[in-house]
Amino acid sequence: MTEEKMMIFDASSLISFAINGLLHELIELRKIFNGKFIITNEVKSEIIDRPLTIKRFELEALKLKKLLDDKIIELPSAVGISDDEISRGTTHFLNLANTTFYEKQKNINLIHLGEASCLALSRIFEKKGIMNVIVIDERTTRMLCEKPENLRKLFEDKLKTKITSNKNNYPIFEGLKLIRSAELIYVLYKKNLSRWNDSRILDAMLWAVKFKGCAISEKEIQEIKAIG
Amino acid sequence: MEERENLLKIFQETKEAIKREDVLKLKELGNQTIHTASIVQDPDSIAVAIIVYSLSKIIERNYHKNSKWSDEIILIVENIIQDLQKDDTKLFRKDLQKIRHSINQFSKKLKVYIKEVFRKASINKASRIYEHGISMEKTAELLGISMYELADYAGQTGISDVLLGKTLDTKDRIKLAMDMFN
Repeated sequence: MTEEKMMIFDASSLISFAINGLLHELIELRKIFNGKFIITNEVKSEIIDRPLTIKRFELEALKLKKLLDDKIIELPSAVGISDDEISRGTTHFLNLANTTFYEKQKNINLIHLGEASCLALSRIFEKKGIMNVIVIDERTTRMLCEKPENLRKLFEDKLKTKITSNKNNYPIFEGLKLIRSAELIYVLYKKNLSRWNDSRILDAMLWAVKFKGCAISEKEIQEIKAIG
Repeated sequence: MEERENLLKIFQETKEAIKREDVLKLKELGNQTIHTASIVQDPDSIAVAIIVYSLSKIIERNYHKNSKWSDEIILIVENIIQDLQKDDTKLFRKDLQKIRHSINQFSKKLKVYIKEVFRKASINKASRIYEHGISMEKTAELLGISMYELADYAGQTGISDVLLGKTLDTKDRIKLAMDMFN
C-alpha cells in the first residue's frame, strides 16, 4: 500500500463534471494530485455501463470510460482493495443507512449501492491509514454523514409526518470526509488550472455545477467567492 | 397494495378532473402519491404519480383534441376505480398500463411527443422524491431513469437552497479540499 491520498468519486460528482464539459479540468486536477482518483464498480455502473446503453448519455459515458482507460480515474483493485471487501462494506452501510429513519414502523430506504460503496471504501482507506475524501454532489448521503438530524427534520418538513430515527446508527457515518464538485472547482481556480482566463470563471463554474445537480446553495456560492 | 383508499380517492378525482380538463387539479393529484412513494417506495404509487401527471400534460398541451382519447381514458379510469374497490391488485396494474398503451391511437408524430411527456413526468416525479430526502441514486433506481437525467433536472430546482442542506461551514469544506492537494 502507498502513502498516497485517495479521492473517491460518487456518480453525482462525475456527472457534474461530465455534463458541464469540465473533464479536461478534472484531468488537470489529477495531474497535481498526489494520489489516485477512485471509483467503485457500483459507481462505474451508474456513470459508464448503464448510460452507454442510453443514446442521450452515450457520449458522456464514453468520455468517462476514456478517463478510466487512461487511469485518470481508477478502480479500487488498482490500490489492492478487493471487490469482495467493498461488497461486504457496501451491504453493511446500505443496511444501516436504510434502517436509520422510520415513518411509524416503516423504515425509509435512503441510499443505493453506489453511494453506500463510496462510504464503505472511505472506511476501508481510513482503517489502512490512508487520507481520503468522498466527492459527492447529491445531498442525502452528505446529510446522513454530517447532519443526520437535519435529514430527519427535512423528512418531517416534506412529508408532514413524524419521523423517528435510530440514533445508534448516527456514529457509523460520523467522521467520513466529504466534499463536492464545487470545492474541486475552487481548487482548480486557485491553482489556475482552468482553460478560461476570465475574472468571472469561478462564479461561472460554481453555478454550472449547481445547475447540473451539485447540492450547493446560492449563499454557499457567495461564501466561496468571498474566500477568493 | 399500499394505500388503496388513497389511490381510490385519487382516481375518483382524476376522472372528474379529466372531464373538466382541469390541468391544475390533475397536477395536484399527481403529487399526492409522492409522499407515499418516498416512504413506502411501492411501484404502484410511483406509477400513479407519473401517469396522472402525464395526463395533465397531455391535456394542457391539447394533444388529445380531435380524438376519442379522453373517452377511452375515462373508461380505463372507471375500470381502475372498480379494481381498487374490489382490491384487485393484478387488474389494477393491468389497467394502469392500459393508460400508457392508449397513446397508440395517436398519430406517429403525436405518439413521440406523448412518450416524451411520460419520460419527462418520470424525471419530474424523481426530482420530487429526491427533494423529499431520498438519495439521487436511489431515486433514479426507483423511477427507472438515469442519474444524468435526474442531476440535470434537480439542478434547476431550488432543492439545494434548502437551509437544512447546509451541513458544514463553507470555509471548513474548502480547507478539506485544499488540504487534499497540499
